[in-house]
Amino acid sequence: MAKAIAVEGLERAFDEVLAVQGVDLEVGEGEIYGFLGPNGAGKTTTVRMLTTLLLPTGGRASVAGYDVVAEARRVRASIGVALQEAALDPLMTGRELIRLQATLQGLPGAEGKRRADDLLERVDLAGAADRRVGGYSGGMKRRLDLAAALVHEPRVLFLDEPTTGLDPVSRKTIWEEVRTLNDEGTTVFLTTQYLEEADQLADNVAIIDSGRIVAEGTPASLKAEIGHPHIRLQLEEGSIAAAEEICARIGPLLPPMDGKTVLVEVEHGAADIPRVVRALDEASIAVGSLELVHPSLDDVFVAKTGYHLEQDGDESDEGEGAVTE
Amino acid sequence: MEATVVIPAWRANLATIGALMSRAKNELLRVPGAAIPGVLAPTIFFLGLNGVFGALTQLRGFETGTYESFIVPISMLQGAGFTGAAAGVNLARDIEQGWLDRLLVSPAPRWVLLAGGVLSASARALIPASFVLAIALPLGAGWPGVDGLLVTYLMVAAMAAVAACWGSMLALRFKSQSAAPLMQAGMMAAILLTTAYAPLALLQPWLAEIAEINPVTEVVEAARQGFVGEVSWAGTWPGILALAGLLAVLGALALREMRRTGA
Amino acid sequence: MATNLRVVRALGMRSIRQTFRRPQLMAPIIVFPTLLLAIQTGGAGGAVDLPGFPPVQSFLQFMLAGAMMQSLMLAGNSGGIALAVDIEMGFTDRLFAAPISRYTIVLGRLAGTAALGLLSALWFFAIGLIFGTEIEGGIPGALLAIALVTVTAMAVGGLGAAIALRTGSASVVQGLFPLVLVVLFLSSAFFPVDLMIEPAKTIAEYNPLSLIVEGVREPIISGIDASDTANALLAIAGIVVLGLVLSARALRHRLRVG
Repeated sequence: MAKAIAVEGLERAFDEVLAVQGVDLEVGEGEIYGFLGPNGAGKTTTVRMLTTLLLPTGGRASVAGYDVVAEARRVRASIGVALQEAALDPLMTGRELIRLQATLQGLPGAEGKRRADDLLERVDLAGAADRRVGGYSGGMKRRLDLAAALVHEPRVLFLDEPTTGLDPVSRKTIWEEVRTLNDEGTTVFLTTQYLEEADQLADNVAIIDSGRIVAEGTPASLKAEIGHPHIRLQLEEGSIAAAEEICARIGPLLPPMDGKTVLVEVEHGAADIPRVVRALDEASIAVGSLELVHPSLDDVFVAKTGYHLEQDGDESDEGEGAVTE
Repeated sequence: MEATVVIPAWRANLATIGALMSRAKNELLRVPGAAIPGVLAPTIFFLGLNGVFGALTQLRGFETGTYESFIVPISMLQGAGFTGAAAGVNLARDIEQGWLDRLLVSPAPRWVLLAGGVLSASARALIPASFVLAIALPLGAGWPGVDGLLVTYLMVAAMAAVAACWGSMLALRFKSQSAAPLMQAGMMAAILLTTAYAPLALLQPWLAEIAEINPVTEVVEAARQGFVGEVSWAGTWPGILALAGLLAVLGALALREMRRTGA
Repeated sequence: MATNLRVVRALGMRSIRQTFRRPQLMAPIIVFPTLLLAIQTGGAGGAVDLPGFPPVQSFLQFMLAGAMMQSLMLAGNSGGIALAVDIEMGFTDRLFAAPISRYTIVLGRLAGTAALGLLSALWFFAIGLIFGTEIEGGIPGALLAIALVTVTAMAVGGLGAAIALRTGSASVVQGLFPLVLVVLFLSSAFFPVDLMIEPAKTIAEYNPLSLIVEGVREPIISGIDASDTANALLAIAGIVVLGLVLSARALRHRLRVG
């Protein structure tokens, strides 16, 4: 099966600055692909090249089997796009916008009308459909943008930072919609600056920094590459030394945070918990609390780029990686 | 799962142009008072020019009856220039706000995207033109006859299209609304550096030379026919030719800019 | 008092910097009137042959004053827009909260308008000279005309500022631009009043702008005339008073309404 998106050595220079330098990636059909990186990393530039809005200055790319430069029109007919600016006209109503999109895509009038009704229902905008977009909230505008991108049932959907600036509820709604779409077979290419979003949604993630891909893989494999999870044990003071000795037999110890915890790296994650519990139990060591801590994508990010992606950890649920530097 | 286009390309293109024209009218109908400057400006110019320069008809060589008759077609054409340039400003705003991306990412051909704005300007230009005419007739402008009126309206609609191509070209080139004065000034110069204020013989030599090479002079003369005399094919075809040429050139330039937006 | 002067100077410098930092806003104020000047002298230049036309060297010599008036009216309008933008942005709120006289805010803004007025006067004199126009009043005449233009720019700017203060909306002030053109058409800016057509003629006879136009024009086409100059100054004073009255009321209204 042809790849939904195939990119080879893609480059884009603006005057002398290389915004995107030598990007290679592949996205299979039915995948959700996450493009993760900070502002200015080259995410939007890459998406604009893949959606034929920008010409590459080097390299090649094909979307839905069509070359983005030579067969741009075929690419446009096969993709749906929801861009960062939520390109909406404040004077139009939601319904008018989707019907205009349907016309742009070459759908006949009646079909466009029917699909508009369905999509508005689907993204929960049926009630506001005949109000002007200018009065929509940020979340409503994103949902409308998403609905418009789907009107022609595209094979590949491009979402450029779909939940930036949205409240957590709206964000979850968009995530659910993306998952549903993916279940129906749509390939999704999404860019994001939120670790959790990439972690939750993407089958495969590429981390981009300063125009280059610095890491690529499934979220799990990336995290595993960086390190294993560890178990954090809270114990009584007197039993620390003994517990350390026991745990050291199960896995390497990590530097303790304070005098009451033991941190032991466990290769098999949760599967190793029974071992640890049993071993401590046999030694009659009472455990105050036990916590399994996973490496986060931020750890991956820091390892690959040298800095944290999220400055104040407002988005990630993971315990570590929240401190700015 | 690719959507199958069940209608032929030409029908899809026509529907797209229609939809874009329909969107363009929102500017007039949904923004209170937005239409007023565009409709009033040519009329104000007409009244002003007439009051100020009306005495020129006393000069030998001015063969028409009233100055009103002489300049009302100019004011109508100015309305066309203004409307077309405004279409360019709207496109610049659409570019700044990211709306154009939505159109560019669709499979619609580039010329179709351009045609929507241009044709809408053509249609809209008829409004200020009619307004000026309605004011001018009771004030002394001669009735041009149905044939004269048709020719004038044709010139107005086509001139608006020319202005819209000019404005769109600049909008796509500079991607900013700050190009607006250039759009307006360009059209103003094009329309007024002609036999706008006086017949060729009475223009200062330098302006007479410019007016002779300026293709818009033919448009002015053709539009003016019914108001100052008889309408004839000989008086009309040079105007049509001039407009066709301007549309071809400016349209091609605008299309080129549209195609180069991603470069 | 010293503080007020310092504030006027500071705001004045700011408004001048703002004006000249954005050429694309300045351009219409100079370019449009220049274009119109060229077109009108080229198209209607034959008017000098009309019986009753004042003795002039050329139509251009006649029109220079009108072009300068047009520029300064646009400059005044743009000064009003700039002040309205300041109000919309909340900048003026900061000024109102400071212990300075309210008028310094308006005066400071007018410095930019005056600079534009001065520039446009110099520009059109340059154009006139390049095309061989003689200034009948010589250097004193030119200086007088330039001074009148600059002061009138400020006076008109004051009106623009009053409207800005009253409405607080840049788009409203901008929308008055056509009105500016109308008022100018209905004056002696572009043609001798005696040769204008009714009803424009009568309106122009009573339009105070006509007095100012004549005050600027006389030094160019014939020489300095005390009564024309006095009339012009009277008309300017009238506009200044109107501007002050409207500004005062607008300021009171704004401070009440917030």
